[in-house]
Amino acid sequence: MNIFKLAAISSLILPATAMVALAAGPNPAFKARHDNFEKMGKATKGVFDELKKPAPDVKLIQTNSKVIAGAAVKVKGHFPKGTGPEAGVKTEALPVIWERNADFNAAADKLVAASKGFQAAAATGDLAKIGQAAGALGGSCKNCHDTFRKPRS
Amino acid sequence: MTQDLAGADLQSAPVKLWDLPVRLVHWSFVALVPALWISAEKGKLDLHVTLGLVMLGLVAFRLLWGLVGSSTARFSGFLRGPAAIRAHLAGNASPVAGHNPLGALSVIALLGLLAAQVTLGLFSQDTDAVSSGPLNFLVSWDTGKAASQAHEIGFVLIQALVVLHVAAIVWYRLKKRENLVTPMITGRKRLAAGIAAPRIAPWWLALLCAAVAAALAVWVAWGLPPWGMQFPWDRPPAAAQMNAADYM
Repeated sequence: MNIFKLAAISSLILPATAMVALAAGPNPAFKARHDNFEKMGKATKGVFDELKKPAPDVKLIQTNSKVIAGAAVKVKGHFPKGTGPEAGVKTEALPVIWERNADFNAAADKLVAASKGFQAAAATGDLAKIGQAAGALGGSCKNCHDTFRKPRS
Repeated sequence: MTQDLAGADLQSAPVKLWDLPVRLVHWSFVALVPALWISAEKGKLDLHVTLGLVMLGLVAFRLLWGLVGSSTARFSGFLRGPAAIRAHLAGNASPVAGHNPLGALSVIALLGLLAAQVTLGLFSQDTDAVSSGPLNFLVSWDTGKAASQAHEIGFVLIQALVVLHVAAIVWYRLKKRENLVTPMITGRKRLAAGIAAPRIAPWWLALLCAAVAAALAVWVAWGLPPWGMQFPWDRPPAAAQMNAADYM
């Protein structure tokens, strides 16, 4: 087999396999969305874990507050049409996200506001303020999960 | 002298075989395991954690009772070596009051699994780590995830052992014509001739063990103060008010 034949064959096969892989694989939006929520979850756990300790590490809370605020702004854009359960991919996103999209976007905006409020509170270093803002942040998580995420049962 | 259904000679009067603490703990397990299962399946994680802490107290009590309790409750009383197990399987072991050498393995496996399961549950976390075991805050996200996965595997093992446990009871009833359930309810059984009656530990020792076990469960529920969390009465209001149900 000469090099030209090989090149010709691979030039046909490689794009074809790539296309098949893309068609078979899930929409990359699923993974981006999952990773973003996991990042936010890790950072939120970091915050609440610290707040449970006798001497919370304020620096760590501040770092995590930036991560949360950075991830929160991406949430709204992570739910393009066609990335619900109808895509056949394992997801906890409920169809109601697209059916009542204005409500969903309002909930996402609330998260963004709460995450900014939390970042500001964290920057003050005042644990009482941080605790209160953490409560509001948690409330904005729950606000969305109650309606738009698949319940656990 | 009377005989049992299998024809063995029995003593004329029943004796106390299982003390009250052993029976209470046993039937609590029977109630708690399904309750823990259902609460987890239904996503009632607050209830699941509460029940899990009760389970922790019970397991801790049973482990203590296995060290200082009545003779049929003590590990040293029923744990035997491979030789005794072989003799039991070959059918040429002398009868015992309480767990036989093979059944002892089942007791230890079930108790050990429950202890491991409860411990893993303390560090487990839900999808977003908001609903989590009382000690999850001490470990990283990845450790918490690993604990949750092991917690799920642990339950499959518990289910398997429970099935084995119940199958053994049915087998004893049908094949060996021995009723194991009634003595676990009443505590009393007519033992085979020539076996000494078990030595039953005093009630105050059981209360002492129960107090120690309950204190352990409460301490864990509070997050191991003062090293982990602060004592509930020392926590700042903001932290004290934080409740998983409010931000889930």
